[in-house]
Amino acid sequence: MAEAQATRTAAAPALGRSRGAVAAWLARGRVFRLIPFVMVEGLFLLLLAVPFALTVYISLLKWRANRPFEQAYFEGLGNYADVLADEEFWWALGRTFYFAGAAVLLELVIGFVLAMLMARAFRGRRIYITIFLVPMMVVPVVVGYNFSMIYLDSGPLNQVLLPLTSALGVEPRIRWLSHPIAAQWAIILADVWQWTSLTFLIFLSGFSALPPQLINAARVMGASRWQIFWRVQLPLLRPVIVIAVVIRSMEALKIFDQAVLLTFGGPGNSTQTVAFYLWRQVWQFNKFSFGAAASILLLLMFSVLIYAGIYLLVRQRATSLRERRA
Amino acid sequence: MMRALAILVAAVMVVGVASAAGAQPVPGATVEERAINGARAYLQKHNLKNVEQTILLSSLYNNSFPDFSQRWEQLTGIRIKIVPLGYTDIPAKIMAEAVAKTGEFDMFNDFPYTAPDAVGAGVIIPLDQYAERGKPDFSGVAPGLRYQQYYKGRLYTFVLDGDHLILVLRKDLVEHPQVKAEYKAKFGKEPGCPATMDEWEQMAAFFHTKPGQSRWGMTFDKGLYGAMGYRSINFSYRHFPAYLGSLYFDRDMNPRINTANGIRAIKQFASIVKYMPPDIQGWGTPQIYPFWASGQAFSVMSFPSIVGFGNSNEKSVIKDKQLSCLIPQVNVGGKLVRRSPQAAGTGYMVSRYSKHPELAYWFIQWLTGPTVGDEAIAHPKGFWDPFRESNLKNAAIRKRFGEQFLATTMENSKYATSLLMLEGNYEYFNVLDKNLADVMNGNVTAEEAAKRIEAGWNKVTNDIGRNNQIQAWRSGVESGIYIDKFE
Repeated sequence: MAEAQATRTAAAPALGRSRGAVAAWLARGRVFRLIPFVMVEGLFLLLLAVPFALTVYISLLKWRANRPFEQAYFEGLGNYADVLADEEFWWALGRTFYFAGAAVLLELVIGFVLAMLMARAFRGRRIYITIFLVPMMVVPVVVGYNFSMIYLDSGPLNQVLLPLTSALGVEPRIRWLSHPIAAQWAIILADVWQWTSLTFLIFLSGFSALPPQLINAARVMGASRWQIFWRVQLPLLRPVIVIAVVIRSMEALKIFDQAVLLTFGGPGNSTQTVAFYLWRQVWQFNKFSFGAAASILLLLMFSVLIYAGIYLLVRQRATSLRERRA
Repeated sequence: MMRALAILVAAVMVVGVASAAGAQPVPGATVEERAINGARAYLQKHNLKNVEQTILLSSLYNNSFPDFSQRWEQLTGIRIKIVPLGYTDIPAKIMAEAVAKTGEFDMFNDFPYTAPDAVGAGVIIPLDQYAERGKPDFSGVAPGLRYQQYYKGRLYTFVLDGDHLILVLRKDLVEHPQVKAEYKAKFGKEPGCPATMDEWEQMAAFFHTKPGQSRWGMTFDKGLYGAMGYRSINFSYRHFPAYLGSLYFDRDMNPRINTANGIRAIKQFASIVKYMPPDIQGWGTPQIYPFWASGQAFSVMSFPSIVGFGNSNEKSVIKDKQLSCLIPQVNVGGKLVRRSPQAAGTGYMVSRYSKHPELAYWFIQWLTGPTVGDEAIAHPKGFWDPFRESNLKNAAIRKRFGEQFLATTMENSKYATSLLMLEGNYEYFNVLDKNLADVMNGNVTAEEAAKRIEAGWNKVTNDIGRNNQIQAWRSGVESGIYIDKFE
């Protein structure tokens, strides 16, 4: 008891000293400069690093959700090897690039043309712009449902196409949702319908920001409409085009809703995208660790693309700055 | 030594008495009474009031289930909260609960074949200990449906649905005098329920009519498709057992698909598609039912509720024009075999993470009991289909479904066979579905598809654990859920 009392007595000045040091450090105000750093780092850890580390950890285990997690065991890189050896994964990946490539290309072209038409002032322009922006705001589930009705073999799309298909001697009832190739295009067209709005919006803002004096100067110097477009407008729109390509490509590579809602990946696996493949492996087949490995591999593959996109953006911006200075 | 022996004897006696008391049957003359008394006794014993239990319910039952849950509340005071979800999403939700262990759900409503994965994950509990006291009655239920409630010999699911497939023909066409004469002239017999799959295809070919064509004094403006059946991804596997007519695996889980019989089944499954609507590979129930009711097909192999839909749907043009038939037979090694797959079927399971699993059990026993269960089947807005012999005597069920359909579906239930009751079954199904689609689309031959299915199934079996799968497979086969036994 006496010993404990002595210890406390000896410790008291030391505690007082450390409290004083903390008070003095706080008084210097350095802590306030650290707060944002701590918050950012904390958020980074919580939102990104921890889930990522968990995903990596799970990807190294052998675990299906139809077994309790306690029965999972270390598998090493086995899941990664399984994913890379899975033919279905590569098909799904290839299909995703095909869908994304075709959809983004169409969205860029249609969005650009629409924006070009809407860039000029005319009566009712605002109404048209509003109408063109509506698809982007529709919930994907509603889009999927509507298109599943449109694509029925006895549905409105085939009725509209009837004169054309009859003239060409093609089967008048195109099996939009059950023929492997038609089903792929059904998904691409639904995506184009919904997301052309976004490219239209991006291009419209690009057209609006074009400096009129340059176009007027070109006109005064006798340039034709085509020359103005090709030599003046298009080069100035290049940064906007790059932005549209990067944003839409990143989104299109995640295509999931339409594949699920319109065809559920069928017929066979002909419309199974890589996002749907992942979902199926994890939530239908319960292969959590396999799914984790596949998602890490995808992250690595897509990171290369994202990096390329960001590099393009940065380079474009640097070029623009240089041109402006010159 | 003597002291230790005395302690052991005492312990054995205590355990014996305790277990005897635990297994004491709950009083009550009927299954439903025992369920009500069991629930009331539990509430009293634990001094519980205002109990609410939650069920993850297939949204198909949104309009009928509340009638029963409200009655349960009146009888016991236990409120049942319903969380509706599309049936395709329920298995994933159950597995998510296995991982998250939230205790949000007390009961799950899904197909019986969801049970193996749920059991493996430990998210549902065996109900034998409660059943020992509640004494549910499964009499009059055919083996293929009755033993589907068990997995590895333990009771996990209560089934209240005879979703075994049925074949339906257009009665008005089959009985049309001109049709009869033409058919007899061509095939030497009058048209009627086909005995075999080959005969069904022959009928489909005969009745298949192009749009605008006039036959038998009628003009078919929109045409008449000879047949309909489920051929889309996530549905093909539900029909395929009717064509295979035998077990998928041998005793050691070696697939038997890459055999003469397996290849025959794949060919037969794909062959009749040419008489089906062109979009059939993209169709599920929401498309098939209205199409059938629109009168544009001669025959359909489907869930039994399609007959009720054809009779009660406002826009149906085939009211009282349907002829229910047994599933046609297939030739397996020279022997005719009839199999009617239980293609879906609504079942009820109890969550391990329920606060009061016993109360959940009592509700399930009450709902699926012979009396209340019959009322559910007779419910005009329900999707529970007849499956037990007592249904035949129930006036409300007879009125709702009609004598001819009822007699046929009950006869079909004798040939009801379960879908795969194995862990990872959705992966086995997917392997089958995608290869069948490839055959239907002409991408691969039936022989090549059989090889691929065999390889795919072996991969799944090895990945999950062959020994575990063998144990579950043998247990299922021996219980009689697949009707067929090992040779």
